[in-house]
Amino acid sequence: MANVQDGAVAHDLPLRGTNADAESFDIVATYHRLLKEDPDLTMPMAAIEALIEFLGHSQVKTVYETIDLVKTQSEKLQAAVRNPIALSHGTDLFCQYLIMSLKQPPSGSNGSSSGGGKPPVDNNPHESFEVVRQHLLRNSRLFATRAKNARERIAVNGRKHLHDGTTILTMGGSRVVGNLLARAAAKHDYGWYTDPPRRFRVIYAVDPALAAQSDEVVASLRSQGVQVATIPFTALAYAMAKVDKVVVGAEAVTANGGIISSMGTYSLAVLAKANRKPLYVAAEQHKFGKTFPVDQFDFSFDQGVIDFYSANNSQSKDGRGKKEPMPDPIDFTPPELIEAFFADHKVLTPDEVAKEVIDMLM
Amino acid sequence: MSTEQNGAPVEAAPKPSSAPKEIPKEAPQEAASAQNEKANKEKPAGTEAKANTAESKPADATGDKKLTGAELKAKAKAEKAARRAQQKTSKEVAKGEAAVSSSPAQLGPSASEVKAKGKGKDGASAAAGTASRPGLLKAPPSAIVTEQKIQIPECFSHLSMARRIPMTQADKDVHPSVLMLGQQMATFTIDESTTRLKATMLAFRKVIESYNTPPGNVLARHFTPHVLNIQIEYLTACRPMCFSMGNAIRWLKLQVSKIDMDASEDEAKKDLCQAIDIFIAERITVADEYITEQGAKHIQDGDVVLAYGRNTLVEKTILYAHSTGTKFSVMIVDDPYERLGQQLAKTLAGEGIKVSYSGDFGGLRSHIRQATKVFFAPEAMFSNGSMYSRAGTCDVAMVAQELGKRAIALCETINITERVATDSLTYNEIDPERSSAAAFRLMFDATPDKYLSLLVTELGSVQARSAPDLLRKLEEFN
Repeated sequence: MANVQDGAVAHDLPLRGTNADAESFDIVATYHRLLKEDPDLTMPMAAIEALIEFLGHSQVKTVYETIDLVKTQSEKLQAAVRNPIALSHGTDLFCQYLIMSLKQPPSGSNGSSSGGGKPPVDNNPHESFEVVRQHLLRNSRLFATRAKNARERIAVNGRKHLHDGTTILTMGGSRVVGNLLARAAAKHDYGWYTDPPRRFRVIYAVDPALAAQSDEVVASLRSQGVQVATIPFTALAYAMAKVDKVVVGAEAVTANGGIISSMGTYSLAVLAKANRKPLYVAAEQHKFGKTFPVDQFDFSFDQGVIDFYSANNSQSKDGRGKKEPMPDPIDFTPPELIEAFFADHKVLTPDEVAKEVIDMLM
Repeated sequence: MSTEQNGAPVEAAPKPSSAPKEIPKEAPQEAASAQNEKANKEKPAGTEAKANTAESKPADATGDKKLTGAELKAKAKAEKAARRAQQKTSKEVAKGEAAVSSSPAQLGPSASEVKAKGKGKDGASAAAGTASRPGLLKAPPSAIVTEQKIQIPECFSHLSMARRIPMTQADKDVHPSVLMLGQQMATFTIDESTTRLKATMLAFRKVIESYNTPPGNVLARHFTPHVLNIQIEYLTACRPMCFSMGNAIRWLKLQVSKIDMDASEDEAKKDLCQAIDIFIAERITVADEYITEQGAKHIQDGDVVLAYGRNTLVEKTILYAHSTGTKFSVMIVDDPYERLGQQLAKTLAGEGIKVSYSGDFGGLRSHIRQATKVFFAPEAMFSNGSMYSRAGTCDVAMVAQELGKRAIALCETINITERVATDSLTYNEIDPERSSAAAFRLMFDATPDKYLSLLVTELGSVQARSAPDLLRKLEEFN
C-alpha cells in the first residue's frame, strides 16, 4: 500500500505486473483535468469520475484488488490536495458504492475472490468478475450523470420554500444557489400543472475573492428580471433586518449535518441566527460525508488564515516563516445554525442528514 | 423483598415502642423465612450470626408449613405495615446514630434480625455482603454487622451495589475463573466497563472449554440454562452487570442457540471459543485502536485536553496523539472519591506530556476555561444519547458546554444500550465502600446529549443522539 502511494514516481516497483496501466495512471492529474474541463463539476464528483476513469484503465482481476486499488488511489488523491474534505466525501461514497455492489454481484464472487490471488499471471479469464466490473463501470457512469442532474432537482425541491414577496440573502459563488434562484424566478412545469414564477428579491453579499462567480450569478438573475442588490460583506449585519430567508451553498456536508463552505458562511449563519432568519443550504447528496469537525480548527490541514507576526521579525520564533494562506479558505457552520437542506432527493433537516450519513456511509 | 429495611430492627430494638403494630409471634418468623431464602447467598459476618442461622432454621420450617395462601397474604400485609413503622423509627435512629456512634450493646438483642433481607437484587440485600468489608470500621469486628448497615431509602431501593460473596457461599457450579472474576469485580480491581467485559468473555471462554455435555443433552439446549446462567447470576451478585456485559451475554446466548444440533461437542465448543475470540478482537481490541486514532485526530497543536478521572481509552488516545508528534498539554480533574487521575497523571508525565492536576472540583470553572477540549470515555451510552459515566462527569460536561468547550466522548459500540435514561437515578450503582448509615454515594451519572459535541465509536464519529442509529446499523450487520 505504502509503495503504491508514491506510485507516481516509483514506476520501478513492479508490485502488480499486469497493472502497469494502473500504476502509470495519474489520478491527481486526471482529477485536476476533469475539474478544469468541466467548470460545473463539483469536487466530489470530479474525484468519483477520476476513480471511474482509473477503473477503466486498470486490469484488476479480483474484487478485493479492486477495492484495494480504489482505496489507494483515493488516498493518493487526498494527499495531493490541501483541503481534501469535499474530495474525500466523493471517494468515500464511491468506495461504499463499490463495496455494496460487489457484495451482492449476480454471481461468481466466489470464483474471483478466492481463486484470483495477487499475481494473475495464469490468464484465467475471471469472466464472472469481469461481468461485475463491466456492470459496475456502466453503473458508475450512470451514477455520475445522475449526480450531475442533482442541481436541477435541488432547484425543484427548493422553489417550494421561496415565496412571493420575500427577500432572499445569499453569498459566495455557489452554482447550486445561482441555479436554484434562477429556476425559481422562472415558471416550472410539473406536468400536471405549471408552477408560476416566484417573485422575490435577492440581496447578494459579494466576497471580493469570489467576485467573478458572484457577478455571473447576479448578472444572470438580473437578466431574468429578478431585483438584485449587491452589498459588501461588511454590510451583512446591517442588511439582515430586510431579509426573510438566507440560502447558501456548501462545499461539503458533515456527518452531524453542518456544512463546510467558503469562508464567511459561518459569519453569515451566526448573523442569521442572531436575527432569527432561517438559513437554508442547497447541496447535493453526494456532498454528504463522514467528516465530523467539532470546531473551526478541527481539520487535518492548517488554512494559514490566522498568522501572527510583527514588523520586527517576519520570521516567527520557532523558525517557521509566514504561513501561506490557502487560496480558497473554508469554514465550518455547525448544524444548530441551519434550518434545512435542499438536497436533490428531498428537503431535510440537519438531524436527518446525520441519520442519512450513518445509513449511507458507516 | 419482605424485609427491605433489614437494618431497622437492629437500631429499633432498644426502643420497645419502635414497632407497635408488629404481631409478636411473627417477628421471628419473618426474619427466619427471609433468612431461609437467602441462606445460601448471604455471608455470616461473625460467629454470632452463624449461630443465629442455625437456631432460626427449625422455627422457620415449622412456621412456613402451617400457613395457607390466605394466611400468607395476611401475613404479608402485616409485615408491610410493620415495615413502614420500622422505617420511620429507623430514620430517627439513623439520625441519632450519626451523632452518637452506636455501641456494641445494641447488637445483642437485634442479632436475630440482622441477617434478614430480601432478594439478591435489592439494594438492601447487599448490606450483609458489605459486612465483610474492612476499611471504614472503627468499632470492634463483632460490631461490623450493625455499623456497616447502609440505609437506603425505599425510593432508591432499585439501585444495586457490589458486594463480596465468599467463595464458599457461591453456587457449586460456578467455574473457578468466574469465581475469581467475581471477587475482582466485587472489589473493583476490575472496574472499567470494557475491561470487565473482556475479562468476562475470557472467563466464559474457559467455562465453555471445560464444559462437558451431560449424556442425553445437547450443548445448544443445556449450556445456557444449566451452566452459563449460573455464572451470570454469580457475577451479577458480585457486582451488577454493566451494559456492555449485558449486550455481550445476549450475543453469546444467541451464538449458543445457533449451534447446529448435529455438530459434535468438540466442534461446537471450538466454534464458540473462536466466536468469542473474534468478538473480543472486533468489538474491543480493534475498536479501541480505531477509536484511539480517531479521537487523537481531534487533538491539535496547542490544545489543552481536559480529562476527568482516569479511563483507559482516554489515556490511550492522549498517548497516541502524543506519539504522532502533536504538541499539547493535559489537565486532569480528579474524582475526589477515587483518585485514579493520579495514575493517569503519572503515566502521561512519564511520557513527557505536560500535565496539570487538580484533585477535586475546586476551581472547576477556571480549569475548564483554560482547557480547549474535554475527553470522556463513558461506561455506557443510552439510546437517547445520554452518557452514563463516572459521577461528576455531568458537572464537568455542563461547565464545558457553558464555556463553549468541546466535549468528546470515546466509546465502543458494545457499550451502547437500547435503554433510555433521562436522569441519573433510573440506572445507577451504590458505592459500597463510601456509603454509611447516614449517607450513600452513587457511582455514576447520566449526561444529556446536549452537553456532548461528538461521540467517537469504531463505526465512525457521530453526534451523541445518533447512538440509536448506530445500534440499528449494528443490527443490520448481524
